[in-house]
Amino acid sequence: MQTATTSGAALVTRRADARRPALTAAMPSASPRASPRVSPRKRATLLLVLPAVVLLLPFLAAVLFILRYSVSAESQAINGWSLAHYGALFEPFFLRSVLLTLKLATLSTVICMALAVPIAMLMAALAQPVWRRVVTSLVLLPMILNLLIQSYGWMMVLGPTGVANSVLMQAGLIERPLSLLFNEVGVLVGLVQTALPLAVFPVLGAMRVISQEYLEAAGSMGATPWRSFFDVTLPLLKPGLISAASIVFAYNASAFAVPLLLGGRKVQMMGVAIRDMISPMFDWGGAAAAGVALILITLVTMMVATWLATRAVQLKEAR
Amino acid sequence: MSAALWSRTNAGSFRVAMLAMAGVGLLVAALPVLVIVIMSFSGDAGLEFPPRSLSLRWYSSAFDVLRGEGSDSTVSAFEAMTTSFMVGAVTMIASVLACVPLAYALVRSTGRWRHGVQLLFTLPLVFPLVVLGVAYLLLAETLAQRTGVELGLWRLAIPHIALALPFVLRNCLSAMQGVGRDLEEAAMSLGASPLRAAVDVVVPLMKPGILAGLIFAFIISFNEFTVSFFMYTIDVRTLPIWMYSRTVSSLDPTTLAISTLIIGLDVALIAWVDKLVAGKGRLF
Repeated sequence: MQTATTSGAALVTRRADARRPALTAAMPSASPRASPRVSPRKRATLLLVLPAVVLLLPFLAAVLFILRYSVSAESQAINGWSLAHYGALFEPFFLRSVLLTLKLATLSTVICMALAVPIAMLMAALAQPVWRRVVTSLVLLPMILNLLIQSYGWMMVLGPTGVANSVLMQAGLIERPLSLLFNEVGVLVGLVQTALPLAVFPVLGAMRVISQEYLEAAGSMGATPWRSFFDVTLPLLKPGLISAASIVFAYNASAFAVPLLLGGRKVQMMGVAIRDMISPMFDWGGAAAAGVALILITLVTMMVATWLATRAVQLKEAR
Repeated sequence: MSAALWSRTNAGSFRVAMLAMAGVGLLVAALPVLVIVIMSFSGDAGLEFPPRSLSLRWYSSAFDVLRGEGSDSTVSAFEAMTTSFMVGAVTMIASVLACVPLAYALVRSTGRWRHGVQLLFTLPLVFPLVVLGVAYLLLAETLAQRTGVELGLWRLAIPHIALALPFVLRNCLSAMQGVGRDLEEAAMSLGASPLRAAVDVVVPLMKPGILAGLIFAFIISFNEFTVSFFMYTIDVRTLPIWMYSRTVSSLDPTTLAISTLIIGLDVALIAWVDKLVAGKGRLF
């Protein structure tokens, strides 16, 4: 009966199952509670799934634990229930941190998207496998390597005697070194770089499915490349752009290593503020509540983005 | 797309602007790594760019530090490196041992529970790392207070395993999807038990995916910074944490040489995965 209700996706596997009737009968409902008598096949599946679930249990426990801690009446133990930790988040120290986080995450998302679209266009246009590989590796680099090491790189680029300042001074554009490190500029640069791969690959995926015919049609009717980019390409890319932007925003809003290393004491993004609650302040309940707030910010962003993207698709289909 | 970007007939400002933006983006992506690698070969004592002379002196100093010579801190770089490799080894072995059977069950079963399980195993990806760090810290501290259990190496290995699971599972799944049921059935029709058929036929066929999973798990654990930052203790700290505590006040060229060695290891491992799975490996 369960087999009959499975969706079309199972159609492919059903043909293979038909050859093994005994197997199909046992498989459809794998929940161990479904019947008191557990078939050997089901037990085998359960045994296969079990080790991975055991390894994931501490993660699930940790997540539940932080939820419970955030509503504890004490700040260093789980005892009683209270919303005081959430109330304390509305103090200026934390609100400033939230606003700074939203500002830097928004700015870095805008810059990331502005860089990701041309990079994705370049990658889609590259015909030679060698060049495609080189560009793909360059884009992947920030994703693979240690955030700590990349921050060291930015320290040497952005520092007072760093690469950026010496190039600008030699070019005669500035007279005194600009202050680019241990402030919001440094953090912003680091956030853009570390999140760039997260923006490029979804945009590239969206770009690959755009039909070339639209652009050719626009061109044949006399549209300039700029016009067909803004009037055809970008609107067609909209769902992909929205989802890429939401991933970048969520990733950068919860950044920790980059603001810690490139922001110094002055740039207290939420990640660093949460660390300060743990380490010098020993306010564990407060840190738990702040963590839940950070999760909520990223979740809400993702949900709004999903809603916007589906609406964009529906609008496109309605037209 | 390609027509708009490349065709020479309607070249002009659009093409130039797009290529320039793409160039800036690629430069930004690679700049920190380039600068670290160049500076690690500097012969100067300071960190001014460009270096006036080139030498390998910081590498010999890096090897001395990593061998544990001339260490002034409580935990030497050698101990930190050993911890890093051990945590990495535990992470890769545990996550692959768990993901191979899981991938087998997910591909061979038809129940709707599969979607739920797959979703469950992507959860560690969407959680902010800072929050995970705090969560694991609170859990470990409470465990120590209530029962006196000290986790030792597992303090770092347990979170690293959770972070590696999504990537390892993805690689094992794509390897498993390439294994046809007919080979397994052939083995069973020749008298092999289902277990023997799985171990002797399916697992060898999954080998590239399994190796890719092992390597990804190691890379993730070896480079992990945020969660380790919350979880480390005086006795158990990884190489990135050691590097961080060394450079809190200022950067030094020896750290850059160690960084370059780590970059080299990462790039070599990724190139190996790329060769193994021929472009089918998925980092995300």
